[in-house]
Amino acid sequence: MSAAPPRVEMRGICKRFGEVVALDRVDLEAAKGEIHALLGENGAGKTTIMNILSGLYRSDAGEIRVDGRPAPIRSPKDAIGFRIGMVHQHVELIGNFTALENILLGHEGTGWVLRAESQRGAVEEVASRYGLSVPLNERVKALPVGIQQKIEILKALYRGADILILDEPTTMLTPQEVDALFATIRKIAEGGLTVIFITHKIKEVLANSDRITVFRGGCRVGTVRRPEASRELLVQMMVGEREFPAGAGRPGAVASSSAGPPALSVRDLSLRNADIHLLKDVSFDVPAGAIVGLAGVSGNGQRELAEAIAGLLPVQAGEVTIRGRSVEKLTVAARIALGLVLIPQNRIDEGILPSLSLAENFVLGLHPYIFKRSGFFEQGTAHEMARIAIRDYNVLTRNERVPSAHLSGGNIQKVIVARAMALFRAIGGGILIANNPTRGLDIMAAAFVHARFREVREGGGGVLLISEDLDELCSICDRILVIHSGEILGGFDGPDYDVYRIGELMAGVRRRQP
Amino acid sequence: MKGAWSEEDRRHAAALAATYAAAAALALLAAALFILAFGGSIRVAFATVLQASLGTWGGFAQTLNKFCPLLLGSLAVAFGMRGGHFNIGVDGQIYAGAIGMAAVAFGLEGLNLPWPVFVPLGILGGVLAGAFWGLIPGVLRVRYRVSEIFVTVMLNFVALYLVDYLANGPWNDPLAGDAITVPIPKSAVLPQMLPKSGGHMGPLIALAAAAGIYFMMSRTIIGYEIRAVGDNPTAARFGGININRITLVIMPVCGALSGLAGAIEVSGFHQTLLLGLTGPTGAPNYGAMSILIAVIGRRHPLGVILAAAVFAILMVGSDSLQRSIGLPGSAVFVFQAIIVLTVLYVEARRQLST
Amino acid sequence: MGFVFDISLLQLTMVMMAPLIIACLGEIIIERSGILNVGIEGIVTVGSVAGFLGTFMMGSPVLGCLTAMMAGGILSLLLAYFAISMRANQIVVGLGIFVLGLGLSPLSYRLAVGVVQSPPQIKTLSGVPVPLLGNIPYVGEVLFRQNILVYLTYFLVAAVAFFLFKTPLGLRLRSCGENPRAADSLGINVTAMRYGACVVGGFFLGLAGAYLPLLITGTFTDNLVNGRGWLALMLVIFGRWMPLWAFLGALLFAYVDAFQFKVSSLPQMAKAVPPQFLLMLPYVFAMLVLVKVASGAEAPRALTRPYDRESRE
Repeated sequence: MSAAPPRVEMRGICKRFGEVVALDRVDLEAAKGEIHALLGENGAGKTTIMNILSGLYRSDAGEIRVDGRPAPIRSPKDAIGFRIGMVHQHVELIGNFTALENILLGHEGTGWVLRAESQRGAVEEVASRYGLSVPLNERVKALPVGIQQKIEILKALYRGADILILDEPTTMLTPQEVDALFATIRKIAEGGLTVIFITHKIKEVLANSDRITVFRGGCRVGTVRRPEASRELLVQMMVGEREFPAGAGRPGAVASSSAGPPALSVRDLSLRNADIHLLKDVSFDVPAGAIVGLAGVSGNGQRELAEAIAGLLPVQAGEVTIRGRSVEKLTVAARIALGLVLIPQNRIDEGILPSLSLAENFVLGLHPYIFKRSGFFEQGTAHEMARIAIRDYNVLTRNERVPSAHLSGGNIQKVIVARAMALFRAIGGGILIANNPTRGLDIMAAAFVHARFREVREGGGGVLLISEDLDELCSICDRILVIHSGEILGGFDGPDYDVYRIGELMAGVRRRQP
Repeated sequence: MKGAWSEEDRRHAAALAATYAAAAALALLAAALFILAFGGSIRVAFATVLQASLGTWGGFAQTLNKFCPLLLGSLAVAFGMRGGHFNIGVDGQIYAGAIGMAAVAFGLEGLNLPWPVFVPLGILGGVLAGAFWGLIPGVLRVRYRVSEIFVTVMLNFVALYLVDYLANGPWNDPLAGDAITVPIPKSAVLPQMLPKSGGHMGPLIALAAAAGIYFMMSRTIIGYEIRAVGDNPTAARFGGININRITLVIMPVCGALSGLAGAIEVSGFHQTLLLGLTGPTGAPNYGAMSILIAVIGRRHPLGVILAAAVFAILMVGSDSLQRSIGLPGSAVFVFQAIIVLTVLYVEARRQLST
Repeated sequence: MGFVFDISLLQLTMVMMAPLIIACLGEIIIERSGILNVGIEGIVTVGSVAGFLGTFMMGSPVLGCLTAMMAGGILSLLLAYFAISMRANQIVVGLGIFVLGLGLSPLSYRLAVGVVQSPPQIKTLSGVPVPLLGNIPYVGEVLFRQNILVYLTYFLVAAVAFFLFKTPLGLRLRSCGENPRAADSLGINVTAMRYGACVVGGFFLGLAGAYLPLLITGTFTDNLVNGRGWLALMLVIFGRWMPLWAFLGALLFAYVDAFQFKVSSLPQMAKAVPPQFLLMLPYVFAMLVLVKVASGAEAPRALTRPYDRESRE
């Protein structure tokens, strides 16, 4: 074989985090001008191996070669030296800097004085070559996520990256933005660059890649060329030999919308921060015995809506009623007492008390109910309840006394869901608001969580499921609402959803184009 | 197999013991160097410290008398830290408590109350004054989002000058000199526990307060909520806990604990109100030491009791070193800070390796 | 009312302003890198004793200032080690360093000076009027008939502002305080930047300490700093982490300080108001100001957050 060596070659890469083996002797290679997809479930190791390639993590064993020569990469700086650039899933920009400052950072040119303006031309030149026009003078935090991602790509290209890594680039984008993104990626690859993108969405891989490497459980399962790949093959590679839990599948009809008030009713809710409308005249109902999904690109007001309903954010106008009772001016605790349970979006920052024990975490929010009679904190009761939850939810932990920070992300999420369900029972049901509850869970655990939501529905409770994953919403919801820029743009009844139309609304396109 | 001590607990305890042994060794080493620098003999110096603080009844009583404000002050810091609040205002709160005690003592002097009524009344005055001094940063934090660190520090100086004014002005004892008031009435004096050696009842009150805090933290709902807020305020808020309410519990309780210390200092120890009762700028700097003790004692009442006892021994012992080899009292601070930094170091090391 | 704008009052204001803003600039540099230094009071105290002893023993105020800067740098380095390399809680470590400084200063003073009848004195620096500028009536007399360190202060305010906002290094420093992961992924050495900021900031804190014996008292006493370090820490918030705003804040604080000093020296006032209430004034004023500005001030996003490249999520 006289062919040129691959652009990037990784051999026998191993990485562990504490006791967890994240990568086990993984090989990978990518060629010049290729779009190479890394496919796998959450936790399969795809992001970890790319973090090693971009110098963020150091591998425990293995070798990296670039153009056939050994490339010892120990820091992001080394990676930049080998012209490797990575765009992370959650954009790593500095919100208080302008786009131009973000792009120039670390690459400001020579001299003691910052001359941003004189570099502007060079940046604009790169931008126009790949069709990445962005407003360079705006502060980044004021820009939409799609634009921020373009800035990230521009940042890497401006540094001369010719190996571009994109980690889950589409999770925060509308279907329309996704199309534009892949057009850009194709253009970049045609320019002779190597693009590696990480995803868990098979559809994207089939539509946009040249080669596909599938990961599972920290190992490489195999690499296939796109013409040889099919949906069935990729699913089998990703999932392996596993049984799906019974009951997963299409949603049924709305269990009942008998007489009686809806579980949750929101009328004309508005929330402003200075001049920015975070929520604008939001109105909807979640009937008792129904799962209502809230679709939308992340950052369009979902978080604010959930927190406003829960009483964590003060609102300017509007009315929220839970099971027919208005919650105006009620505290968080009082709303919980009326029947509202919230599963927060960010499990680490909003969900757990890291140095308190798992048992003490489990009773957070529940504590006014289970200890009500005595007024004292009964460790025995808390531990007993936590042990039951650990068993029922299959939480991997030594016992209920370990600090919750010692648990893995997926197990923490199980604890949070278990707690929410217990609280929901304790207060006698009502409305469960879940903000991206299955992010970071494997398929089995996600199915388990969905089964719990169905139980709530069967029991006559309401669920408001906020998710960025349209597939998830379509598979379980009785109704889907779409939010964009703080406004509800439309509602769809299941079980058969017009995904493309939902995508249009997620992108803020109000009327169907003629 | 749920024995009292699992393998994991045992390992944890061993690591903890090793941490403190290392910290103590390093502090002793530093102490030895200082003593050599001042031309003293190490053996004699250590013997002096122990002899002075524990070797005689008089010394022991003195050690107990120091133990009392140290324990209450560091409880006031540790309690706040458990709830995520930093109370740097122990000095000011001690002064406030002292003023409260003195105000009751002078104000009700004419009623000729018997001591079992007068003393508790005076101490209550001190506790309330301290709680009020702690409530101010609490209210400012809740109402205006001002960090309690700043407000408590600033209030130290305000309280200092307030005592300066009272002790030089309206309550001054012209015969005693500057910055000291006339003695409080005899029936407002806290009874002695060791009458011959001059040890008052304060340490018992302080230990009771520590027990109360321990019970509150581990066995009551409000204690659980305070710990939750201290560990992750956002998660606590999501769990329905009202953080402003917690702040308005924590800060006055912190102030009340320090205020109790101030009241006991006036009622039991000095039996008058004077400048130099505590910091923030001069010795005895109870406020600064309380911060160290709270950290060394791992913010836990039991740990704080132990650390406060060690510090009290060091304080009394170093006083006698000052007389015998001229080692300044501030040296204690340096040893203590070294203990703290070593403990922090070893703990951070362990955190990093997991 | 003429008293309020009295030239000597305003001149004293400039004298009192300098140590506050020098310390505040040091803290701004440190905080902009993402480290909160609550040990500032202790570090400034050590700076004051080092400045005094350096001047006293080597006979040169310049060497005194350098000694103080070294001392400040070393203590600040200690904070940096704990906060950056050990990822310890910055507030707890800072408080430890605060107390360490509080103990270290009188100890080293006693170690160097011993027990003496009358405390040693150093000569305080005298004013050096700037030719021409110093002759401008009123404004010139206030601003340019000062000691050399006040002039240095003018320069430092401008220099730090320029450094932070107009140089590549300043941009990088701020990026470490805002989003260290982003900075790191661009090849900026976050650890080195933060260490550097702490040490350089520590130089400022030491210099601020040295200013006090060199210009105000001529001696060292235990209560020399008297909360000025804490005031500087508040000024950082007041100035919203920007040197020029902090400078204005320092002027305001210093004016109140100078005002109480001047008022208490007026015989007719001493009768009316007990001096202790005037002494309280700067601290009460500081609290009131904080109430006004605290809400709405935006700290560097990563302040107090240690950076760990390999941390997940």
